[in-house]
Amino acid sequence: MSRIELHSVAKRWGDVTAVEPTDLVIRNGEFVAILGPSGCGKSTTLFMLAGIYTPTEGQILFDQAAVNDVEARDRNVGIVFQSYALYPHMTVRENIGFPLRFKRVSREEGRRRAEEAARLVQVQELMDRKPAQLSGGQQQRVALARALVKEPGLLLLDEPLSNLDASLRLVMRSEIRGLQRKLGVTTILVTHDQIEATTMADRVICMRRGRIEQIGTAEDLYHRPDSLFVAGFIGSPPINLFKGQASNGNVVVGEAILATSRDASGDVVLGIRPEAVRLGEGPFTGRVEDREPHGRETIYHLATPLGLLRALEPGAVARFSVGDLLPFAVSASLLFDAGTERRISGGALEVPH
Amino acid sequence: MDVALAASAPETTDWERLAARSRLRRRTTTALLYTVLLLGSLPIVVPYLWLFTVALSGRVGASTFVLWRTLAVLLPALLIWSILRVGIDDRRRLRVCEIVLVIVTFVALAVLTGPYLHTGNWRFLWNANIADQLKGAAGVGGTYPSVWTAFGNSLFLAITQMVLVAAVSTLAGYYLSRFDFRGRGGYLKGLLVLHAFPAMTLIIPIFLLLHWVGLLDTLTGVILVVVALELPFAIFVMKGFFDAVPWDIEMSAMTDGASRRQAFLLVVLPQVKVGMLAVAVFAFLRGWEEYVFVRTLLLQKSNWTMSLYLFWMSADVMGTDYAMVSAIGVFYVLPSIILYTMCQKYLTQMTLGGIKG
Repeated sequence: MSRIELHSVAKRWGDVTAVEPTDLVIRNGEFVAILGPSGCGKSTTLFMLAGIYTPTEGQILFDQAAVNDVEARDRNVGIVFQSYALYPHMTVRENIGFPLRFKRVSREEGRRRAEEAARLVQVQELMDRKPAQLSGGQQQRVALARALVKEPGLLLLDEPLSNLDASLRLVMRSEIRGLQRKLGVTTILVTHDQIEATTMADRVICMRRGRIEQIGTAEDLYHRPDSLFVAGFIGSPPINLFKGQASNGNVVVGEAILATSRDASGDVVLGIRPEAVRLGEGPFTGRVEDREPHGRETIYHLATPLGLLRALEPGAVARFSVGDLLPFAVSASLLFDAGTERRISGGALEVPH
Repeated sequence: MDVALAASAPETTDWERLAARSRLRRRTTTALLYTVLLLGSLPIVVPYLWLFTVALSGRVGASTFVLWRTLAVLLPALLIWSILRVGIDDRRRLRVCEIVLVIVTFVALAVLTGPYLHTGNWRFLWNANIADQLKGAAGVGGTYPSVWTAFGNSLFLAITQMVLVAAVSTLAGYYLSRFDFRGRGGYLKGLLVLHAFPAMTLIIPIFLLLHWVGLLDTLTGVILVVVALELPFAIFVMKGFFDAVPWDIEMSAMTDGASRRQAFLLVVLPQVKVGMLAVAVFAFLRGWEEYVFVRTLLLQKSNWTMSLYLFWMSADVMGTDYAMVSAIGVFYVLPSIILYTMCQKYLTQMTLGGIKG
């Protein structure tokens, strides 16, 4: 069980900076997700923690000890790669037992621990098969068992669910979460899927282009995104964003003029989440241009004075049809400075003039 | 209205006619295929058949009538077999007909050629003093070495070649595939150039070099030279195989606790087994059939390889005893055939190490 710290850790490949100097603290037993689009440096950070890459700058500390020079095999880290990286010429039993070959364990103990790890992920019936004879989900579980069999201080998962189909993803999400809670091992998950990150992790680290945009719980990132990028990345369906002008307590967005108590001036971006729109009553009016039924909710595309607004209506019954003119209100909104892309906090957006 | 509808009766497809047409098309294509294959294989197979039949039946001269008899039996048999394959659809009946055909062919061969087969041409195997029976001291002069000495030398050359090439090319291929070092690009280009280079032009410098080093007229010298010439291609092949092994299973092994060397031996090497086998077999065959360099660099008779034995023997007896030369030829080619037949299954099973499905 390890407490992980990164002090100004950066990774450069020649002229390209994959990870900017980064500081990070991950507490013992925490489940952290590194979330971001492709190429943002999340996998690179993961591999630096595993010891596969060496940081160009900075120090990595495990339990307050610098481990930059410690080789991957001595770091007691378990890693599950995106492709699972199972050894094709070995059976499942041999795959899971592989890490134990390099520890001082007797044959029987090795076998026992491999069986235990297999039972933990429910692959005990598949022990004599080769990886090519397993389904994707089974392969992933074997990879997980192999990472856990050595009782690592740190568990690293590189996009573990991205190659699974939707229903299997749901199952594995809760299984991995449950495993982590049961074993209490410090876990770092890398993903581009924000739902994975928000549902599984204690804290989410949002990265973009080698830099950390924001760290916080899922609620922090949802309700109080520090930047436009985070607001746009978190939340499905994505947040509505409108360009506007702010001056003297007013914000002009599209054809609407809104009063605000937030301290803003110049070019701004207004963000309204689809679920923050109350349909049926309110100071704004919009016409339904399109309707997407999703089963337990409906998404409307409304033409409004602000612009084209996506609104989410919960409930299985869609109350409105295409062409309807209806009033709506906005229960919560976010305002960002267009230049710095940072959120302008404090105050509220009032009703229009 | 009703009349108009009734007049346009629904067209039925004539399935029978279509099926018959497909069958005819299939038979024609198969027949053509068999014809082309048979005609194409004849120029390749007949010389070997000549070799085998003369080795087993010839007396001093190159008596080919056994060959003609063999062909007279085999060609009609093949023709009948092709017709059977094209004409008969029922699998059981086809199998029965094929077995009957094979039995008849064997019987015919036995009857027509049996009486003429003998092992006299193989006397070189147990009679080392062939020279006594040759005409005078022409050619090399003096005694020949035993064919088994030559066989042993060839075997030594080929096996050492195989082991050295496999070992060096595997390690070199791994390093080239995995590590980026200064001069790597130039090295790879250099390998290509070396492979394309005609080794024959280097004969004289190599002779001198070996003489200065003191390895002239030794099998060791020849081995070193032939290994060096075979390596560029082998390294390229092995590098290709290592490139196909995903890097993440290596990293996985190293995170699991293996050192680089252990990861290489336990995880990476098993993935390129097929490549190693291919390189080893090709190296063996190259060493086994090596002629130019052994001819130039080996002088003593006791150092002869099979290729030299065959050459000098045929130089001495050519014009009089084709039969024995053919027998030596068959003896020479047998190990290659055996090796290749044994390894064929593995060589054709080249699968790329699949990690997920």
